[in-house]
Amino acid sequence: MKFTLVKDVKGDTLMRPLLGGLLLFILLFLSSDILYKAQHLGLTQSTLAQTLYGNEEEYIEPATTDFMLELLHADIFFMMMTLLTLSTVYARLCQNPRLRLTNINITMITALLSLIFLPLAYFLSAHFVLPYIVMFYSWHFMALMMAAVSLYYLLMPQKSDL
Amino acid sequence: MHQSYRFAIIYFVLFGVLLLVSGALLFLTKMGLSVEGVQSFYLGSAAHFAQPKTPYGLLETALPHLGAMGLFIFVLGHFMLFGTKQEKRQSILPVKLLFVAALVDIGSGFMIIEGWHLFVTLKIIAFLTLQLTALYLLFLLFRSTLRSITKQHRR
Repeated sequence: MKFTLVKDVKGDTLMRPLLGGLLLFILLFLSSDILYKAQHLGLTQSTLAQTLYGNEEEYIEPATTDFMLELLHADIFFMMMTLLTLSTVYARLCQNPRLRLTNINITMITALLSLIFLPLAYFLSAHFVLPYIVMFYSWHFMALMMAAVSLYYLLMPQKSDL
Repeated sequence: MHQSYRFAIIYFVLFGVLLLVSGALLFLTKMGLSVEGVQSFYLGSAAHFAQPKTPYGLLETALPHLGAMGLFIFVLGHFMLFGTKQEKRQSILPVKLLFVAALVDIGSGFMIIEGWHLFVTLKIIAFLTLQLTALYLLFLLFRSTLRSITKQHRR
């Protein structure tokens, strides 16, 4: 997290391409995650319910406990590392303290809720399927927005830079 | 340090707790905390129709864990550099212990399938050490960050 100590990240000849590349990769990671989950898990009420609970008419087996736990375990790790890195970059580049704190809080809380709603949907009740989908899209949208805005702040000169 | 960084660290702690809980649930559902459970997971069990594990199969699990655990322990430990001198001192031993426990936890499977039965017990000890030490470090980080958020808020 050396970039948290470099005073002028936008003016630093190494930090600028480094952060630019990192943000680009985060944008790609988040978009790919949506596509992957849509295929692998399902991101509509009917497709996700079919993956979690199976479908006798179409001979689809319900997801196993091992599958769910492994998916969650890997997801938690990638989410924590991606969101921690993205938040620190965003906090460094966004100059409005209230806005950056609000956006970081919303992103993190929706991400945490999505991690709680998925096992609840699997183990407890189908009522949590829709809340999971809403939280999943919310945190992805917020994180994509934070990455895109950070990239904009990094590449475009702001009033404070002039 | 920005107030936003401190909040990001608090969320990191919450994600860390979820990571440990999901890891513990996986361990308990797959093998449990008994010597027999760990043995039958690695060496196979006719009663449970379980095949013995192959070195390649173990490598598939070990590989992502080597990268992920090293990174997780480093990130978790390095945040303690922002704490007080006492908190930094308190975290030195747990960080060292975490690296050793993670290594034993990952490597034990290979030793068990090679016939080193001592590693069945070591695997359970390493797993428990890893979970408890990581929880302790997360608690230290949470307390330290919460204190600095409150201090900043009072100013």
